[in-house]
Amino acid sequence: MTTERNLLHAQSILGDLTTDWSQPAPDRYDAFVQPDNLVAVVTTLHQDRWGYLAAITGLDKGPEVGEFEVLYHFCADAAVLTLRVIIDRADPVMPSICGVMLYASPYERETGEMLGITFAGTPDDAWLFLPDDWQSEVFPLRKDAVLNGNGGGDA
Amino acid sequence: MTNGNVPQKAPGLWQKVLDRVKTWSRTQSPWLIHFNSGSCNGCDIEILATLTPRYDAERFGVQLHGSPRHADILICTGPVTRQARERLLRTYEQMPNPKFVVAVGACAITGGVFAGCYNVIGHIDEVIPVDVYVPGCPPRPEAIIDALVILLQKLAAGPKIEEAAS
Amino acid sequence: MTQPANRKRFTVPIGPQHPALKEPGHFAFDVDGEIVQSASVRLGYAHRGIEKATESRTWVQNLYLLERICGICSHIHATAYCLGVEKLAQVEVPPRAQAIRSLVAELERIHSHLLWLGVAAHESGFDTLFMYSWRDRETVMNILEVMTGNRVHYSANVLGGVKYDVDDQQAATIREGLDFLEERTLHYLEVVSTDSLFLQRTRNIGVMDREAAQLSGVIGPTGRASNVQRDVRLDSPYAAYADHPITPVYETTGDLLARFVVRLREQLTSIDYIRMLLDHLPNSPLTTRMPRRVKAGEAISRVEAPRGELFYYIKSNGGDMPDRIHVRTPTLCNIASVAQLVIGQHLADVPMILVGIDPCFSCNDRTSVICQDGQRDMWDWARLRQYGIDHYGTHYTKDLG
Repeated sequence: MTTERNLLHAQSILGDLTTDWSQPAPDRYDAFVQPDNLVAVVTTLHQDRWGYLAAITGLDKGPEVGEFEVLYHFCADAAVLTLRVIIDRADPVMPSICGVMLYASPYERETGEMLGITFAGTPDDAWLFLPDDWQSEVFPLRKDAVLNGNGGGDA
Repeated sequence: MTNGNVPQKAPGLWQKVLDRVKTWSRTQSPWLIHFNSGSCNGCDIEILATLTPRYDAERFGVQLHGSPRHADILICTGPVTRQARERLLRTYEQMPNPKFVVAVGACAITGGVFAGCYNVIGHIDEVIPVDVYVPGCPPRPEAIIDALVILLQKLAAGPKIEEAAS
Repeated sequence: MTQPANRKRFTVPIGPQHPALKEPGHFAFDVDGEIVQSASVRLGYAHRGIEKATESRTWVQNLYLLERICGICSHIHATAYCLGVEKLAQVEVPPRAQAIRSLVAELERIHSHLLWLGVAAHESGFDTLFMYSWRDRETVMNILEVMTGNRVHYSANVLGGVKYDVDDQQAATIREGLDFLEERTLHYLEVVSTDSLFLQRTRNIGVMDREAAQLSGVIGPTGRASNVQRDVRLDSPYAAYADHPITPVYETTGDLLARFVVRLREQLTSIDYIRMLLDHLPNSPLTTRMPRRVKAGEAISRVEAPRGELFYYIKSNGGDMPDRIHVRTPTLCNIASVAQLVIGQHLADVPMILVGIDPCFSCNDRTSVICQDGQRDMWDWARLRQYGIDHYGTHYTKDLG
């Protein structure tokens, strides 16, 4: 199976740069990465030509947990490798990976403005989606964001 | 190009004839400008389909036009997003009088499925006055043509009394 | 790059006014003379906050919300969502439902590509092709209406299956429509690859070789036109694509012409694929039971939308509403490439390059403003296009002379 081979190969080249591994589905690996190691991990994947960056997802674990989790999804054929980076909710700073792959820029801009995460060194941190007159301290995808409107639904 | 000024005094014969000519020419060639203020595209492609050969709205003299300064009818789709509100207002204000607005689709009328989303400030008639509403998600091209025909009848009835576009 | 100090540089913003289609975007192009030096992107004119809204709607309500992310590719959004949620809920969808999902997805691809062909033709000033391709697009709209009762938001999907079946009479209507579309598609393929005026606007314009395409992360037909061999239908088969693999289409030249040819050839594969599906529709129920609450966990769902890979990340807490849904649309991947692609190109080619990635942009008219030493001068789309025509007119005469 190429999918399995791809995933095992990713594990072998990233080995000591990650803290933990898990396999939530047959075609998926999750790799837990320290923020400091992120650029090194992405560089290794890029130099090895392992797949491509499909998306960056930002998750808010909520104010009680006090963590953000940023997921970098890399896809190679059917295999999906997700780098899971946990950062402190009070001081949300991430290294930018745009130095390695420039096309991550819109993803970083989106995650940054939606959750209020700073990507240190990202080439362009202007708002991509939010309106010009948006209050700069409100980040819509945070669980405790106070927004106009009820967010839809039946409320 | 007409300036569409509504006469202040009781119109003389010459003015009456002029008004009739203006009304006639307006009903023969109502030009559209289309503005998407946050729609999903569904209505937009149906508006375009209305103008293409199957439905051929051009037989009513309707033409889609680029500049708001040349347009008689503003055809709006989608709920109004925070970012698009200013642009919608500006487009409306740039149009010469008399001007008409058609709101196409459920979102333009009520906000539709997007009502309550944080970046949606409301529906079209909360921002600009609307003359004809076309319900549907999205409305069929036939419904859009029907709206245009209703509007043309409205136009044929004579110059519109200006409302304050507040 | 050094340049004389007195050399003026202009910024030409394009958009967002007249954002007729999805994602009305704003681009600012810095030009030196008529050569573009740099470009930047601003989106968000149609940003509504759907991802946040999904968190306060139930799994079923979300289906109808996510379908309305895009009116052109609504079915594929719903499919991606359903496949992800079904994965989370560990529900097995009957094979006939999966086949019908693929069938509608391919019909949608045909409608989307024909729509794009018209839009792109309009941008190049070839309005006859615009009108013809939109007329023929009505055939596929008819088919969709016959199948589902709707022209645009077909709502064919439900969680755990599909709503609509295809009976023999409908199948006959579909086949009849496909025969017509095949003939027309072949005709358009001939037109875009032989019409000399059109070729001047497409051949060797906006060239992206394989290496550059991979580096800028483009996907979908735009990538396949540069021989980037990525197609989710093949790489990570879903719905019916696992049982019946699709034939991928690649081109090697990577210019605008290749992007036209790839999409038209894809249309032909879609037509063949639909015929094949109609021949091999499995017999099974259309839906299966779906729980109201979805097990906690996260799922990734990837599908091939008409514009490229569509990526859904779905996280459940075990409740009747999702905890987080993240949607990465193909346009977000491709739009960044425009900023790089236009550098060094003529301003007159910018509209064509923009539309070449099929960014859900309007075919109509945008108003642009040229700032020139503080003075503002309005350029509408027609004038920009006229500029293109004049520019190529002189080039053409030069070539002849």
